[in-house]
Amino acid sequence: MPIHNLGYREWNGTLHSPWTRWMVVAEIGIRRAWQSAWLRRMMFFAWVPGVVMGFMIFLFEQAEKNDGAARDVLGNLTSILLLGHGMGSDADALLQHFLESEATPGERRHVFWSSLLLNLFRRSQPLILIPMVGLIAPPLISQDFRSRAFLLYFSRPLSRTQYILGKAMTVIAYLSMITLFPAVCLFVVGILLSPDISVLSATWDLFFRIVIVSAVIVVPCTALSLMLSSLTTESRYASFGWFAIWILGFLTYSIAVPFSSPGDDSLMQCVSLFHIFSDVSGWLLDPRLAVSGIETRLVTLGVLTAVSLAVVYRRVSAPMQI
Amino acid sequence: MPALIELNDLSKDYGSFRALSGVSLRIDEGITGLLGPNGAGKSTLIKVLLGLVKINSGHGHVLGFPIGQSVAQVRTQIGYMPEDDCYVHGLSGIESIQVAARLSGFSETEALRRGHEILDFCGMGQERYRPVETYSTGMRQKLRFAMAIVHDPKLLILDEPTSGLDPEEREAMLNRIRILAREFHKSVILCTHILPDVQSVCDRVVIFARGTVRVSDSLEALCRMPDPSVTVQVTGDCQKLLGRLEQKGLRAKIVLPQQLQIIGDAESLSPTLWVAASESDCVIRSVTPSKNSLEQIFLDAVREVHRADS
Repeated sequence: MPIHNLGYREWNGTLHSPWTRWMVVAEIGIRRAWQSAWLRRMMFFAWVPGVVMGFMIFLFEQAEKNDGAARDVLGNLTSILLLGHGMGSDADALLQHFLESEATPGERRHVFWSSLLLNLFRRSQPLILIPMVGLIAPPLISQDFRSRAFLLYFSRPLSRTQYILGKAMTVIAYLSMITLFPAVCLFVVGILLSPDISVLSATWDLFFRIVIVSAVIVVPCTALSLMLSSLTTESRYASFGWFAIWILGFLTYSIAVPFSSPGDDSLMQCVSLFHIFSDVSGWLLDPRLAVSGIETRLVTLGVLTAVSLAVVYRRVSAPMQI
Repeated sequence: MPALIELNDLSKDYGSFRALSGVSLRIDEGITGLLGPNGAGKSTLIKVLLGLVKINSGHGHVLGFPIGQSVAQVRTQIGYMPEDDCYVHGLSGIESIQVAARLSGFSETEALRRGHEILDFCGMGQERYRPVETYSTGMRQKLRFAMAIVHDPKLLILDEPTSGLDPEEREAMLNRIRILAREFHKSVILCTHILPDVQSVCDRVVIFARGTVRVSDSLEALCRMPDPSVTVQVTGDCQKLLGRLEQKGLRAKIVLPQQLQIIGDAESLSPTLWVAASESDCVIRSVTPSKNSLEQIFLDAVREVHRADS
């Protein structure tokens, strides 16, 4: 037995379960993406709206204790941040009504929190989500094609499904950090600032609504961005495609909807991902809001996700067929 | 002893292109050289062994597992070094090898420890901390080799492991392959165009051409030429000519379709050969002294396919 040996040595350790290998793929993606200074800046700004909304929850609780000053500040902040920003007249009216009415504290709290969350999901986070995905997702698969890293992955005990899951989790992890986690933190802050734990009985459903809304936003975005990444070996084309889909959809909707008859815009609304997510998250967070043609939007998201994942799977298999 | 790889009548098509055609092959432990011109089907065969593509027909076993089944277990025991440059963008050498080990099931810490150990074995110094994008061709070759052996596989499939290396590095790489095979009893499939490398390290040679196995034998048997002999290229009934030659007391065998090898020197054989050819209605196209170099064996096998095609 040599004292020092730089030669080859056999290895007799225990291997980890094959079901966790996708985590390695996800970890590489997360670490590599985090190397971008732009991503770190975006992540910082993505949490700013959540912090402001947390402060508003604090003011709300102070106002509930008949603190006049807090009520004034909250009223001003609500007018500036929550009302009159094209969130939908139904949502605005509902919030206004509940803030001014003699509803029970539990009802007021539920409406106020859901309004805050609605703003988070519909207004502030999409503005961060779109550039963030445009930064993270495009190189994920396209760069593996270019550097032929798929030979490294698939000559190991890693299936294509695990590979795609790992790549998807990279995007999902970052998107959850700007959608799910700020919203859950807001919910927890709300519980902690409220007078007693009985608040949970009035607001428990919001937690599950947050999870569902986050999933409805994050999963289709992840699938679509991975599909674009898998269609090219140049990540800049995937980035271009990603931004083009959002911008062209939004412009098409903005131009075409004024010409369509009222209540008949559900199909047209499906061309704009921004409006689909806005309507679906509104409907999921507060079912009292009337959203027409919600089924069409849900089907659109479902089809988009399924087709995107099918394309990704096919594209990832393609290099082996050469 | 059970074969490491056993294939029976294996075929693989890519659309209308037949990449593998009725491949029957047995590969035992040791170092096997896999030779063939470009497009011969070597890469497809490797993909089949790794379970990356599905076969159209035939059956076989790899490391005791039926082809296409238990793919994860097969890949755990195979170390594959691709010919093409392949790396995860943005990682350093040690991170790349750590990823390779973790994908094979190593824990994070163990993968790092093993990665350093293997990079030491491969002769890679402090450059292991540099991004792979900055590596020279030789360093990338060493890194790919290191990634192939990091999980201590039973079978190594090395695709052009010495291409792009300077003579010193090439010899060092061949030496590593020898060490793994001789001291640690790893089986190696060496896929290369550099025939001296095959002659230097391989025990056995398989030559592929147009998706079929043309030659499969031990290197020793292939290169053995105990008696002087001639290679005769004929047109006509080769079998009949063989029969005539044997009737006249000559030792001959058909080595390829329309090609005979006759034991004896050309001068003494000539009269008998011409008479036998005349009697069997065969036309002798060429008579050349038999050569036992691997290069000649390879060229004969490949040319025969081209001839059959034309």
